[in-house]
Amino acid sequence: MKSFRFLNPASLDEAIALATAPDAGDARFLAGGQDLLTEMQEHLAEPDRVVNLKSVPGLDRIEAGGGRLRVGALATLVRLEREAAVRARWAALSEAAASVASPQIRSCATLGGNLCQRPRCAYYRIEEARCLKKGGTECFAYGGSNKYSAILGGGPSWIVHPSDLAPALVALDAEIVLRGAGGERRLPLEKFYVLPADGDVTKETVLAPGEVVTEVVVPEPPAGARSTYLKFRERESYDFALAAVAASLVLQDGVVRTARICLGGVAPVPWRAPQAEAALLGRRLDAALAKQAAAAALAGAAPLEQNAFKIPLTKTLVERALLALAR
Amino acid sequence: MKLEPRAVPLQDAPPKRKVKTTQVVNGIETEVEIEVEDVPAGQWPPRASLRVLNHDIPRVDGPVKVSGAARYTHDVRVPGMVWARLLLSPLPRARVAALDLEAARAVPGVVHVLVVEREETGWLGQPVAVVAAETLEAAGDGLRALAARFEPLPWVVDHAAAVREGAPAVGRGANVGRPETDGDEARARAALSASATRVRATYTVPVQHHASLETHGVVVDYRGGEDAVVYCSTQYAQGFAAEAAKELGLKAGNVRGVVEHMGGGFGSKFGLDAQGLYACRIAKELKRPVHLMLDRRAEFLMSGNRSGTSMTIEAGCDAQGSLTGLVAEAWKHGGLGRGSLSGLPYCYKAGAHFRDVRSVRMHLDASRAMRAPGHPQASFGMESILDELAYAAGLDLVEIRRRNAAHPAWVRQLDRVAREIGWDQHPHRTQPGKPDREECIGIGFGISNWGSGGSSDCEAEVRIEKDGSVVVACAAQDLGTGTRMYMAAIAAEEFGLPVAAVTARLGDSRLPTGVASGGSVTTPSVAPAVKDACTRARGAFAAHLAQVLGRSAEGFRFGPDGVRHDGMTERLAWSKACGTLPAEGLSARGKWQESLQTRGVRCTQAAQVAVDPGTGRVRVLHMVCLQEVGLALNRLAVKSQIQGGMIQALGYALGEGRQLDSALGLQLNASFEEYKIPHALEIPRMTTLIDDDDTRNGVAGVGEPPAIPGASAIANAVHNACGARVRELPITPDKVLLALGKVV
Repeated sequence: MKSFRFLNPASLDEAIALATAPDAGDARFLAGGQDLLTEMQEHLAEPDRVVNLKSVPGLDRIEAGGGRLRVGALATLVRLEREAAVRARWAALSEAAASVASPQIRSCATLGGNLCQRPRCAYYRIEEARCLKKGGTECFAYGGSNKYSAILGGGPSWIVHPSDLAPALVALDAEIVLRGAGGERRLPLEKFYVLPADGDVTKETVLAPGEVVTEVVVPEPPAGARSTYLKFRERESYDFALAAVAASLVLQDGVVRTARICLGGVAPVPWRAPQAEAALLGRRLDAALAKQAAAAALAGAAPLEQNAFKIPLTKTLVERALLALAR
Repeated sequence: MKLEPRAVPLQDAPPKRKVKTTQVVNGIETEVEIEVEDVPAGQWPPRASLRVLNHDIPRVDGPVKVSGAARYTHDVRVPGMVWARLLLSPLPRARVAALDLEAARAVPGVVHVLVVEREETGWLGQPVAVVAAETLEAAGDGLRALAARFEPLPWVVDHAAAVREGAPAVGRGANVGRPETDGDEARARAALSASATRVRATYTVPVQHHASLETHGVVVDYRGGEDAVVYCSTQYAQGFAAEAAKELGLKAGNVRGVVEHMGGGFGSKFGLDAQGLYACRIAKELKRPVHLMLDRRAEFLMSGNRSGTSMTIEAGCDAQGSLTGLVAEAWKHGGLGRGSLSGLPYCYKAGAHFRDVRSVRMHLDASRAMRAPGHPQASFGMESILDELAYAAGLDLVEIRRRNAAHPAWVRQLDRVAREIGWDQHPHRTQPGKPDREECIGIGFGISNWGSGGSSDCEAEVRIEKDGSVVVACAAQDLGTGTRMYMAAIAAEEFGLPVAAVTARLGDSRLPTGVASGGSVTTPSVAPAVKDACTRARGAFAAHLAQVLGRSAEGFRFGPDGVRHDGMTERLAWSKACGTLPAEGLSARGKWQESLQTRGVRCTQAAQVAVDPGTGRVRVLHMVCLQEVGLALNRLAVKSQIQGGMIQALGYALGEGRQLDSALGLQLNASFEEYKIPHALEIPRMTTLIDDDDTRNGVAGVGEPPAIPGASAIANAVHNACGARVRELPITPDKVLLALGKVV
């Protein structure tokens, strides 16, 4: 690991100032450290400065009330998993948090870190493979090993976004709050992520240098709303998603009034499935409709050589998530 | 009355006789003839009379391991120690184009840079340079400062590329080895043609890793002078110390090898290895101790592996299900090594068989012995083809095994295991189930064997102290399987003591001759030697007491109620009896004895799985294992080791396998994130049964057989559940979905 300066700011403003100072060099914010430290050990990240957000008070709150849920960037996943209000009203979020990695990691990992984590693609994680994500010219997964790669929204990079919380929060219509030297901005979480074709391929988000995620705000679901997160892992104990689905529905007498569906593990960003949502609206949710919605969600899939299996797999997950919400 | 101190020597040069035995060299079984002393054969007490042995004994080192207090080689710190790290070839074959030694030496804290390959590397992960520094971090910085540049040379890391015309040569000689054949091909093919039913299929097992939780490595404590201590994560402390002595240029007797605890070896840790060699060289150069442990990536790339296999098998049977013929053509993928594959038809008899096995070499680290080398691969091929044959002929999956098993022990084991897994109530005994529900339940079977006995060289020493405590010692190492425990338990049994009164010393090359712990030889080597030492110590103690008490030596009995003599009504407490010993106590050396061990253990397993056809997920619900073990010294430890084997096999079935990018020459899963060994949630219900119908009263090694048939049983269970025949391990969801025709 390259040597770096470790800084413990007392406030968010100080943290941002430290990260954006003219002599800051490559500065990174440290939250739970579960991804950043591994990246540093593997020489994928070599910051000059590490600005510790844990020394900033108040970034780890979880507050439910006033028609919304506010979760600070430093709230740990284990708290999101266990918090009674989250479990009761934002089930997809607590289920997503519970599905992450191992209990040991969940007790350190944070919301902000989870949303900003870098890809798990093996080529990206191997220092020697200078892939597109690391400033190279080629996505090695495309013509190489691509069993774990994207089937939706791929190209010119075929990573899948590894976050479990992101699809759940997109399905719950969350907003993300960012703070930088120029002040604060809020945007729908969906707009926080960028497809490789639409922006800087070495990044997954719109986060600017020196900008920090401060919190996520999730609206209170309407009466009758239910949500769930269904994740499929190759190894149940400890793994990233091979495919996942977050769904949030309002049902009235079995008829779908609102629907938000977001897929995980299949695209470079949390992948919203508007065709599936449209297929559901105003119709009675039964097995046939769930199947139809699942097909709509995967209609645009363009698999690579080794990952066509993700299509039937994801369809099954969508169907099952919807039917679980209908029960 | 004055007591003379006495150590009891071995008898003078007893007569010798020759016996045939199976010995294991680096994990490979070999039939050899050895000379043993022709002394009256020692015997274990009848099982019914055992007080300590053949019971469940909690392990003595459990608490230190669970609490982290156990000192592994990784944990050793000695004064003045430097830390060394390796630079590995990032490509399977490359020219070493640049190494900036000056820059590395200039890194603060770096004390030594050793270049071990200046020209050309020939396998992925081959060490190129070693940097030693005052801290691990500085050593890492030194490696970066080398700014190594490698120019790729043509390589082959997959079968197809290696056998292609004009393929880059892997070392000297052809990439495809000479065929190893067995059987009469014409006869086997004729038998196949005459079969009532015949099937043919190709099965593939990937290269698997030992995945020891403790990586390979050593701490060489040499500070100049004539002596050194090497702390080594090894399966053979004495061999390791001898190799280190040679490298250090010291007398063999002056180098002590120590391994207090082992974090797994599975056949990959017999020798000094490259890292041990470099650590010795640097220690010798600097006259300072060197700590050199592999990091996880290096462990995956350069510490050996279980060779992969691709095998095409054709088998036929008659109308009753008796195998009439079998022809197998197989390739072994052992990197630079020859790989290993047990003979097919493995544990079955086939009327006529023929096999042709060849190794295909690649620019990858050489395969090494790994828990039952060659057996799991052969088992996967054999159990799979047997199932395919049974389905094709409409036969019961248990019946076809009973009919063809090469030994009657498997027949009784199959009956019991079938009962335990619920075969009679299972709906799919001759045809697989359909993928028509979220949980399709299937059952599969497999059998295995392993043959080795102990090493005739093994010795042990027992010392009875004047305060009544007992120390039993042997240089052999405890790989985590409970060697320490049973050494103490044997002495406790022999002297009528509680286990806690006995201390076992092991894992130290200065102790009496041990054995290389591979091929399940440790227990059948060490236990007889310890038992023999105890027998001799009892004799010597009796002789001593006879002198003190004026009684005949033959009449003394040692039991939990103390020392008795046939001619006395009162008994003597153990501590009182020991109090009569001279200050240095009493010691006796014992030797391995043929009569105290047994060889050849058979194992049968069944697995019950649930397959989800919607996702391809396979969940193992239940595994049953019934295994012969001869005399179980510690039933708890035996069952624990069997379970470890079953879990390892579950890993082979569902998660493990080296993944390479042939074009880039990279291993894509050289970490525990991507190399998916089972974790807690993957562990099924396990019914672990010791086959007590095996009444041989000798000690056998039990570690290999349970790791063999589990993957085969699981693979067959997946097919039995829903009709998805996956012929390539591991059985991951993508392959199940593909086999079910769900991927379009």
